[in-house]
Amino acid sequence: MNAIDGTDRTITASEAPPPSLLTIILDTNPYAWSILSSTLPLSKVIANLLVFINAHLAINHANQVAVIASHTTCAQFLYPTPKPPQPGGRDSGTTNEAASNGDVEMSNGIAERIANEDDANKYRPFRIIEQELLANLTNLISKTTPEDLKSRTTTMIAGALTTALAYINKQILLKSPSDPSVLLNADTSAVSSAALPMTSVDGQDAASARSRQTLTSRILILSVSGDLAAQYIPVMNTIFAAQRQRVPIDVLKLAGDTVFLQQACDSTGGIYLDPSHYTPPLDSSTKTNGKAPADTAAAAVSGTLQGLLLHLLHPLLPDSYARHSLVPPADAAVDFRAACFCHRRVVDIGYVCSVCLSIFCEPLADGQCLTCGTQLILPREAGVVPAVLPRAKKKKKKKIAGGADTPGTSSAAGTPAPS
Amino acid sequence: MTASMQALEYLEQQSGATLIKLYRQPSSALAIFRRMLPHLAKNIVMAMLYMTKPFSDADLLAWIRPDALVEKDQAMSVLERLHIISKVHDPPPAPTAYQLSDKFAKSLRQALTGGGNHRSFGVPCSTPDPDKIDVENLDKFARQQWEAILYYMVGSAGGMQMGLSQGASISDGTKMLLEMGNFVERKGGRPIITQTGFSFLLQEANTQVWSLLIVYLESADNLQMDKVDVLSFLFTLGSLELGQDYSTANLTATQLQMLDDLSDFGIVYRRDNQAKRFYPTRLATTLTSDAGALLTSNSTLRSALSPTGSGNDKGYIIVETNYRLYAYTSSILQIAVLALFTRLHTRFPNLVSGKLTKESIQRAINLGITADQVISYLTAHAHPQMAKNTPVMPPTVVDQIRLWQIEGDRMKATTGFLIKEFGTQTEYDDTWKYADSLGVLVWKNDIKRLLFVSRIEQLSTYLAGKKSKARAA
Repeated sequence: MNAIDGTDRTITASEAPPPSLLTIILDTNPYAWSILSSTLPLSKVIANLLVFINAHLAINHANQVAVIASHTTCAQFLYPTPKPPQPGGRDSGTTNEAASNGDVEMSNGIAERIANEDDANKYRPFRIIEQELLANLTNLISKTTPEDLKSRTTTMIAGALTTALAYINKQILLKSPSDPSVLLNADTSAVSSAALPMTSVDGQDAASARSRQTLTSRILILSVSGDLAAQYIPVMNTIFAAQRQRVPIDVLKLAGDTVFLQQACDSTGGIYLDPSHYTPPLDSSTKTNGKAPADTAAAAVSGTLQGLLLHLLHPLLPDSYARHSLVPPADAAVDFRAACFCHRRVVDIGYVCSVCLSIFCEPLADGQCLTCGTQLILPREAGVVPAVLPRAKKKKKKKIAGGADTPGTSSAAGTPAPS
Repeated sequence: MTASMQALEYLEQQSGATLIKLYRQPSSALAIFRRMLPHLAKNIVMAMLYMTKPFSDADLLAWIRPDALVEKDQAMSVLERLHIISKVHDPPPAPTAYQLSDKFAKSLRQALTGGGNHRSFGVPCSTPDPDKIDVENLDKFARQQWEAILYYMVGSAGGMQMGLSQGASISDGTKMLLEMGNFVERKGGRPIITQTGFSFLLQEANTQVWSLLIVYLESADNLQMDKVDVLSFLFTLGSLELGQDYSTANLTATQLQMLDDLSDFGIVYRRDNQAKRFYPTRLATTLTSDAGALLTSNSTLRSALSPTGSGNDKGYIIVETNYRLYAYTSSILQIAVLALFTRLHTRFPNLVSGKLTKESIQRAINLGITADQVISYLTAHAHPQMAKNTPVMPPTVVDQIRLWQIEGDRMKATTGFLIKEFGTQTEYDDTWKYADSLGVLVWKNDIKRLLFVSRIEQLSTYLAGKKSKARAA
């Protein structure tokens, strides 16, 4: 009779890992790639990325992939090819005059083109992705005008992340066991069921919820450009959204340096990989053999390309199901600095509004919070270094609240007027 | 047993040379990779795919979490049995390392990157088919053929003949195959379904297809067909595109012969035996996809196989906590399967209702169906409304079905070793205490000085050590 107990019930559920959705955000910032063009040309990276995508699709029949370009002017899907939203009110289809119905014609066009180039030496799904992705990327690059480049030099990472999360959310709803239309209409039930595993303390509940999870998703950002401070708030908001949706964000940092993507990995449980710092086990094994450790380090820095596929396949390919049993690559200390809301500067000491927690790099001129408009009063002591304690031990962050003085008196702390 | 496990078991029995020959085809390498390997093994293979040096055991251990060592060992043993990885035999000072089999790695790389001239992903017809068959009709054909087989089996169960003989005509070859696989027995010229046959009926379509194909593979040897040819053609079929016509020009004689047999099962469609082109049906294109994935994400196979044809194709069974069962179906086949373990009492145009009773379940168990099969069938075909629950089936019903099963078997068999004829009481006490501490002690009788243990290796070394110590003293 011992065989009958509650724990047995969940075993009947299928043990196969759930399919996984990989959303790749490719940073296509032309400035960054032009700097990298001598060592790491975009075309080679795309070739490696395609092998990586194929490897992901090879793991499970139901695995899905989406690629989003984070360009300087827009964030755009590279795969799957976006379809015009409404057959009636489409503007993008003007290039294709013969088409009476953009929705159908567009997909047919691609399918026909692919059918014509059919060859028996490549698995068909792999070929379709390759062709669509390359066509869309070429399209995106050719549409970029010099004027576009002049107007903006940073990449639209926040927009791309938002697009990715929206896409993931939609796919999860479509995959849920119950009728998708029901869930789409009553999104409250979806939210409550999504929140359930997080709040449940009971281990069995969580386990069964995980086993019934129908789609695991993650985001991989291939980042080449730094300086995202201008998009601090939207980026952080997407990070929190990803955290709530339990979508890990992985980052492969090919060039540049961003503070916030590292925080994204840290708070969502993703992997932050900087090929110049991380050496895959292949290299480390040569190290243990005592064969020129300096060599491998140099190779990792100079020849990032050779190792790129290895980096992609080794730590970044396993989905979150497999990661339960794998040790993530050790990452360096995470930089938790924030950007101020007034000048988008990355600061390590700042002023925080006591009401809305906005961060400012300097005391505000009129004492009014720029975000919520609360009248703030800076105490007289703010910014003044007490003589008794050494500076290093002093608590760094000073809140602009609670004091009795007017903000005007605190101008001793040094207030350049906010521009 | 899931479909992939069955196929895996079959592959593991093959010799290394057969497997290596099989791996020459990129489509086979890809299919085996996707279909047969445990999830962790896939990730290990992918990590190793582009490494230029063997993957040392120490590095592998550093990558796997300590609490996942069981899965790692499992993954590695499957990989080794399939001859996908091998240990590198370096002189002892070098650390143990693994490397991928050259053939497998090369084929998998080729599958991922494309190129080569192996044509293993199917050769599409260059000219358009004048009267092309659409996906809907392909599904209809596949369903018709496959259900004919199932009808044949269900119809052979006693007392269910009426109304089932309609259109259930299957070829003699298939009948023979079903007998060879021990799904049906022929008694007095009439086929009788066996225990294996009942379990077969309750499996998922994808698992059923593989079960039958494995019987087919086993019979291929007798028919002088090349096993590697047959297998690699099956894996090629799995990578084909539904609704696309493929040319038969590049196929070997064995594969042409297979096309005939497979069209009997509904796996491929040909207009006639001489047709120059063939269409894979959904049964073929889902061969190399995961059964679990099919269950949740790919409802298309089930829609292809569910004769109701209604929009609601995900599942049709609702079980209530009071053991009542409602099945939204009008398919005779599904009703017949349900009737194996349910007491059905009312039938409406689109609904049958019934009750799971002790008699009905125990009748099924007497036929050789297990409680787990019943539960997994009900879970797999749960109505979307019921599928929302966690767990899907009401726990009371699940527990009761299991209880009804174990009511029948009051004895539990444990394989192990009986140790007897102890010389002294202290020797006996010493041994049982040690066995107990190891957790292998199943039963003991102090008066007769008898011990029963489930494992003996450690115990025998312990006893041998004690004996030699006693001799030395």
